[in-house]
Amino acid sequence: MILAATMSPDELSAADDAIGRLKKGDLDALSVVMAEYQHRLYRFLYRLAQDPALADDLFQQTWIRVIERIGRYDGRRPFAPWLFSVARNLAIDTLRKRQLSSLDAVEEGGVAPVELLAANERDPLEQLLEFERSATLAAALQGLPVIHREVLALRFEEEMKLEEISEVIDVPRSTVKSRLLRALESLRGRLQ
Amino acid sequence: MSSHEEMRLKLVLAASGALSPEEGRQVEQHAQECVSCRRELEVWGFYTRGLGALPQPALPLGLVARTQSRILRERTAAADRRRQALLLGGLAVFSWFVNLALWSVARLLTGGTFEVFGMNLVSAVSWFLVYSTLALFTAGVSAAMLSRHALRRF
Repeated sequence: MILAATMSPDELSAADDAIGRLKKGDLDALSVVMAEYQHRLYRFLYRLAQDPALADDLFQQTWIRVIERIGRYDGRRPFAPWLFSVARNLAIDTLRKRQLSSLDAVEEGGVAPVELLAANERDPLEQLLEFERSATLAAALQGLPVIHREVLALRFEEEMKLEEISEVIDVPRSTVKSRLLRALESLRGRLQ
Repeated sequence: MSSHEEMRLKLVLAASGALSPEEGRQVEQHAQECVSCRRELEVWGFYTRGLGALPQPALPLGLVARTQSRILRERTAAADRRRQALLLGGLAVFSWFVNLALWSVARLLTGGTFEVFGMNLVSAVSWFLVYSTLALFTAGVSAAMLSRHALRRF
């Protein structure tokens, strides 16, 4: 949402070019690719892990895995779903191993420290209320199972289409739809 | 499920932008006529807009630099492992080649019989049994020496 929407065509082609070079083994291109996706990737991992230290480690592991498997990436397809799929699989495996999060059980979680990316110039009271609403929503989101958090993060923060989400989490489009539906109903249930 | 209940499910998907344009139009049309569904659609819209505007986690300071140096470390370690595997493979092939050559020479020199304690040492079975024992012992000692060397490097 933040980066993809503000990327100019030049930036996009620079990133595509860097991905092409990375695929050919040019490690210098990595910094360009990382710069392009670092915020989105960290945010996604943070939503899944709900722990800054774990998100930090998963972020590093994701890029190591990207370097190892970049040869398998089909350059004709968009890079983001592939990258998020690598990150998602690592996160799910790690969460399973650590048993921090059950894939089908609802878990409780506290509000993690967060900060706004940028302040805007609206009424401070309005901003405060909006921040409070967002924080409440973020806290409710933390209580959802990871399979619901991931679809919500991919759809509303990463603004991915259902087809792209389906590629990331490796389930049919119809399953993405039903998970999205259940995730939103569950989120609303927690806030009422 | 009644058509109204079905429509209420579609409201969630409509607010998520997960319907086809045709389905979206149907939902919109229904919401214009049905007050409760219109209200429901507004509520779902509030949630979905809120999810797109959640407080953002800040990227930890130095994370990118740490990631890049970890990648370099991992690549160096992987290259070392590949080199060691190649070296070990080469040594194994070489040692079997030397072994076969020595066995041929031993059989040639002894005429195929060299008995010690009633065992023919140049027969295929005993030669390779003795050789394998020696090779395994040497490999074990080498592995222990290499791991001590690796530990000292850390």
